[in-house]
Amino acid sequence: MLLDVALLVALSLTLLTALSVVVLSLVWVERKFLGRIQMRMGPMRVGPFGLLQPVADAIKLMSKEDLLSSWVDRVVYWVAPLVVFVPTLMIWVTIPVAKDLVIRNLDLGLFYIIAFSVLSIVGLVAAGWASSNKYAVLGGFRAAAQLVSYEIPLILAVLGVAMLAQSMNLVEVVNAQDVWVYALIQPLGLVIFLIAGLAELGRTPFDIHPAESEVVGGPFVEYSGAHWSVFFLAEYINTFAIAALTALLFLGGWLFPGLPGGNPIISLGVFLAKTYLVVLVIFWIRGTYPRLRIDQLMSLGWKVLVPLAFVNILMTGAYLFYGWPAWSLSLMSVAVLAAAVWGLSKAMRTAPRPEVTVRIYNPSSEAGHAG
Amino acid sequence: MLGNLKGLLVTFATMIRKPVTYQYPKEHKPIEDRYMGFPVLMWDEKVEEPYCTGCMVCVRYCPTQCMTAVMKDNPLHADGTSSRRKIVDTFEINLGRCIVCGICVDVCNFDAIEMSHEHELSKYARNGNRSDLGKLLEMGWAYQQETGWRPAKEAAAEEAKAEAES
Repeated sequence: MLLDVALLVALSLTLLTALSVVVLSLVWVERKFLGRIQMRMGPMRVGPFGLLQPVADAIKLMSKEDLLSSWVDRVVYWVAPLVVFVPTLMIWVTIPVAKDLVIRNLDLGLFYIIAFSVLSIVGLVAAGWASSNKYAVLGGFRAAAQLVSYEIPLILAVLGVAMLAQSMNLVEVVNAQDVWVYALIQPLGLVIFLIAGLAELGRTPFDIHPAESEVVGGPFVEYSGAHWSVFFLAEYINTFAIAALTALLFLGGWLFPGLPGGNPIISLGVFLAKTYLVVLVIFWIRGTYPRLRIDQLMSLGWKVLVPLAFVNILMTGAYLFYGWPAWSLSLMSVAVLAAAVWGLSKAMRTAPRPEVTVRIYNPSSEAGHAG
Repeated sequence: MLGNLKGLLVTFATMIRKPVTYQYPKEHKPIEDRYMGFPVLMWDEKVEEPYCTGCMVCVRYCPTQCMTAVMKDNPLHADGTSSRRKIVDTFEINLGRCIVCGICVDVCNFDAIEMSHEHELSKYARNGNRSDLGKLLEMGWAYQQETGWRPAKEAAAEEAKAEAES
């Protein structure tokens, strides 16, 4: 009993430390990468290549004054960061980072992850509401609308993977990809998962709820110092979690052709490489696109991603039911993806400019007005 | 839609380009020869005295009134070594007030004051940049050595001579 508790505490501390280091690395990678995209250098002054910049940021955040405005609903206000943070930590319980490196390998791992990731929406709404600030409330409502609607395509995309792997256990999902990774069999699912995942994270181009230019930071307006940094931490851990899930569900996790999947160090390295690759793609997207308007966000979610996700499920179901070869599903998937891209580009094209005939007033040609 | 993918390619292309940043205190942008920094006084190395006679024309034209000058009889003129009858005794520019407009250089009759390359003169004290004659000549000498400066009249005369010969 005592040993179990000690093990639990040790594992939780290890997890927390590892995730903190990951967040520090993500902050550095993001600032460097965005800097390079804008032909800057990013942080360079603290430590070699600015490597200690995230540490300096953390110290600054911790030493800041924690302001509290007078109309705040105190209990909800202080609990909200925890409600956001704890689920982001909880999902890591069942995410395997290498073959046998997982805290608790749950049979319903995917279900558990989705169930917990939905919880953090409550925290965002609570934070917005408790701040008693109009921008925060608007941001909280935006978060609710956005996250709830993008949860559906996300879950459906995950469901497609679970159908293919015939399991919700993440380790088995990865093991099922030892021949073909699901990114090749189900490219449509990968795209839906990435887009919906970005929206779930509230990262650009879907950062509607913390949009600085519209709701000046959304639910986090009133938060400062350590409490704000909890939200920040949660956001980056979530980013890493979505990247890790993409790597596990679609890119074959720790498996790589030619490398021994059984070796824990090599498999951890392969997993981290794939995850950071996805993280870089997320940052790349952030460095490229402007923010969507909220109506564009909603119509993209409900009119495009949800139907596509259902089509994905239908295709996967047919593929499994009739036992077609694997390439048929990838072919169908690519075809649907191409059709979606084509349809979207048609729908997004603006109408051609109307032809304008210029009439010049000529008094001599109009008898009535002449003279 | 395809334009979106193009956008990704554009950002990728800029990502692999070299950053345009200069790491400022560590690495400086090269200063061009005609760079216009703060005004300093020039040193006539043939006679070993400043070009400045302390005539105060720059002081009168200075829009921010940041300069003062005092004239004296030139001891070297009494010896016969210098052609200048008067020479500058004290000269001060408050470079903290100077707006680097270059009017003093335009109005100077003796090519005695020039816009140098000095530009990194931040000080903690408000009057930390009051520069006296010695300091101004020192900065001017550095500028002269850096650029091979000659008074405009001398340069023009030499050029005309070279042209006449050719």
